[in-house]
Amino acid sequence: MKKIFKILLKYYLKYITKLALLVHRPTIVAVAGSTNKSFVKKEIKKTLEKKDLKVRANPKNFNTEIGLPLAILYLPSGYNEYRKWLPVIFKAPLKIFQKNFPSCLILELGTSDAGDMKYLLSLVKPRISIVTNITQRYLEGYNDMNEMVKEFALLAAKTSNLLILNNDNNRVRELASRAQAKIIKFGEKDDSDYKIKDIKKEKKGQTFILKNKKKNRDIELNKFGKHHIHAHTISFIIKDYFNGQKKF
Amino acid sequence: MFERTQDLRLSIIKQMELEASKYPDAVSLAQGIPNFDTPEFIKRRVERALKRGVVAKYSLSPGLPELREMVEESLETEGMFYDWEKEILITAGSIEGITASIMAITKPGDEIIIPEPTYTSYREVIKLSGCRPVFVPLNKEKGWAFEIEKYKQAITSKTKAIFYCNPNNPTGTIYDRTQLLKLAELAEKNDLFLISDEVYKDFIYDEKNFFSLAEIPELRKRVIRIFSFSKAYAMTGWRIAYLHSDEQNVKEITKVHDSLVTCAPVISQYAALGALEAGKKDIKNFKKKYLERRNLICKKLANLSKIFDFVTPDSSYYVFPGISPKLAQKIDKNLITEQGRVDSWKFALWLLEKAQVATVPGMAFGPNGEGHLRLSFGREKENIEEAFRRLEKLFKNC
Repeated sequence: MKKIFKILLKYYLKYITKLALLVHRPTIVAVAGSTNKSFVKKEIKKTLEKKDLKVRANPKNFNTEIGLPLAILYLPSGYNEYRKWLPVIFKAPLKIFQKNFPSCLILELGTSDAGDMKYLLSLVKPRISIVTNITQRYLEGYNDMNEMVKEFALLAAKTSNLLILNNDNNRVRELASRAQAKIIKFGEKDDSDYKIKDIKKEKKGQTFILKNKKKNRDIELNKFGKHHIHAHTISFIIKDYFNGQKKF
Repeated sequence: MFERTQDLRLSIIKQMELEASKYPDAVSLAQGIPNFDTPEFIKRRVERALKRGVVAKYSLSPGLPELREMVEESLETEGMFYDWEKEILITAGSIEGITASIMAITKPGDEIIIPEPTYTSYREVIKLSGCRPVFVPLNKEKGWAFEIEKYKQAITSKTKAIFYCNPNNPTGTIYDRTQLLKLAELAEKNDLFLISDEVYKDFIYDEKNFFSLAEIPELRKRVIRIFSFSKAYAMTGWRIAYLHSDEQNVKEITKVHDSLVTCAPVISQYAALGALEAGKKDIKNFKKKYLERRNLICKKLANLSKIFDFVTPDSSYYVFPGISPKLAQKIDKNLITEQGRVDSWKFALWLLEKAQVATVPGMAFGPNGEGHLRLSFGREKENIEEAFRRLEKLFKNC
């Protein structure tokens, strides 16, 4: 019973979401990877909001077959209670023509089993995609690492305009060969388009230099950990890309 | 033989529970556990993990990456910035985190200062680590506040840390920003660690502010902050908690943690993930219920003002009333210690025998707790009502 309900719900939400996206045509920025998706998403959102764009990002864990449509339609989850799903089901069609639909959606795409990415990409067509890193986390849902990497390779292939890759992660770097879109690589490696260097831990956070063809930026963060340096770097890449576009 | 354990004692709370079990109709205000069951969403999260077959193997010693990442996000909402990869450690309950921290930062013979009355097991953990607990009394007249002068006097060349519970168990006190900053100043001056056990920080009443020294980046090398899922999410049996501090401390604490437990139970780590994903509204519900019960128990205690005096707790689910020595003397001279205070152990046993109401004697929480009882309002309202019906009957003619 539960299984049938879940399948029905999944497809019901899928088609309503597709209709909503067809009506509003927002720019979709997809964030994928084994870790750091949430911090990256937050930084991109901050950057784009400063550009006066109406942005919406999916809440943590609204990143799978049912969570993602809910986030796009701006609906809550009924979790495990049928009763709580009823208002969600009734409200969903009304969300197709909702006013103030965001012009940009930043969506974390969560994959834990083979085929997850294919399904999510049947819902959304990302203009920009970011792959933060690929580790053995969630490997239990796949036969091996290669099968897991295929999920991200599919995202790389289906992204239309810009693919941002972590150049310090071998598996992520290799995704470049699958891309149709422009590629920007970031990391500490010399061949990175956005090179991170001179990372220093300070009392109140950390500092680093972000170097690209055009300029060097001295950046100071009040947070600790390399993942925040990556999140900030990605937000700078998006900012620069935005500045170079007539329409985002 | 048994040299290490000779000076350890079994928890007085457990001893009292054992005594209470001899009375079939006993009502317990002793147990420090919530009456709520773990929220459904958390159970479903665990079921999913079980079905996926991901709970049978060890996790990385510091914990599941996804859980540590969520802990970092949760800390960020409270104004604390710690790197999940290097500065957050998932532990098998807070007591394991406390043990690992103390063992990492001390050597046998060191001293650790504890404001008291406070949680009973701190003493045992310090002793087990080969260190000496140094009790510094809290000031009841000032609402169980710190008195910095007393800490200055207690510091010796062997002092390694000041270890406090905030909000405090059993008094329900919240140490305010000014008090804590003074303590931090003292720690800076004397090169001490500050271990802050913040297990009850989610149950703060009357819109009081809560401040943690872990919010101050300059103190991150000194402060080791511990939080448990036990109370906030009704998960005492899952044995799951976390600690965070600067990477130089966490690196060393992790070595002890790895030796003690390898990793926190993986099934419980998934439960903790569920708690962080969707447990906020459950905390809100629990807090609402505890507030109602706090108000009820304080009202009941106020009706027995000839027997008990108390400070209204700002947090946790405990109240710590003092027992009137005059009344105790009137009941039985043997209930009074040589120092003229009420012998809380004997008084608690007397209450159990006469009214079949189980409480925890204040002496369990340190010397300054003598003459008091700890009453828990973590249980149902009916339980509190029944306990006080019996107490009112017992003290009717006093």
